[in-house]
Amino acid sequence: MVELEKYKWPIIEIAIIIGVLVVMIAIGFAIGILSTDPDGLERAVIDAKGEEWLEGLPSVWTPILGWIENEYVAGIIGILLSVILMMVVFWLILRLKKRENIKN
Amino acid sequence: MHIPDGLLDPVVTILLWIVTIVIMVFGVRKIRALFKDEDSEKLIPYIGVLAATIFAFQFVNYPVPGGTSGHLVGGTLVGVILGPWAAVIVIFLVLIVQSLFGDGGITAIGANTFNMGIIGGIGGFYIVKAIMIVLNKTSMKKENKLAIATGIGAYIAIVLAALACAIEVGISGSIPMSVIVPAMLFWHAIIGIGEGVISALIVWFIYRVKPELITTEEQFGLLKSELMTTEKKSEV
Repeated sequence: MVELEKYKWPIIEIAIIIGVLVVMIAIGFAIGILSTDPDGLERAVIDAKGEEWLEGLPSVWTPILGWIENEYVAGIIGILLSVILMMVVFWLILRLKKRENIKN
Repeated sequence: MHIPDGLLDPVVTILLWIVTIVIMVFGVRKIRALFKDEDSEKLIPYIGVLAATIFAFQFVNYPVPGGTSGHLVGGTLVGVILGPWAAVIVIFLVLIVQSLFGDGGITAIGANTFNMGIIGGIGGFYIVKAIMIVLNKTSMKKENKLAIATGIGAYIAIVLAALACAIEVGISGSIPMSVIVPAMLFWHAIIGIGEGVISALIVWFIYRVKPELITTEEQFGLLKSELMTTEKKSEV
């Protein structure tokens, strides 16, 4: 049984931090301080080969969440997915470590 | 610095996948400091938050002069907080989520993890460790020492990661090495300043507010310097 009391403060702190991140992204988009210019690698590739060449690179798949056009919504979904994926993977690693310790 | 699909040669792509997987498997075995305490489960929600922070900072680009933009990579930042091996796994998982949105190719996750997680995380961690050896000899406050070392380490690691990325693209034959290497180094020498400043500020803040979350304190000699300070005080 999970002891919820033990995780009360970490969960509250996490909720606050995620809230702050979401607000930061919202403010960034709202006041337009975030840039839509290409990043360093894209800039170097565009300068060498052009934007059309970069956009025409072959890909083996279509990104399954690429249809989300609203960057703010994509940001929130991405944050939630990252939190869930990371916690599950590190929880599994922790279980593996504990099992190894018991064996040893 | 997210390499898209199609930019790298299949041989380079597969080779970097193999290197990344080997290092991650080795890393899972090496993660000890992170789970050394009985109640180490408590760390897991914070790892989740760190992932959210890295995702958010990688997702949004800040303007950089010259018609380009930068975003946090975070390898060195995670390396300093959770240790080098955990950093590779964190960056790998964040890159998987980002590839779902089309930010970085799915076949290039191995290469992107190599650049941002292995060079940025493991490389950055050891650069910070080397800087800490020097800074531990000074009387600066611990959080300032760690923040300065992290800032410099993150900057150097991002430039090295950009160099590796450029070499991979050059070897793949997509763009001549003589063109891509100087271009990547030039842009990332500028973009890296943001990486260094953001990483330093986050580490400084965490170390002030919740120092127990910096699980690498001992490896950076911070506990030792604290012990020495206490001993000196008791001698006085």
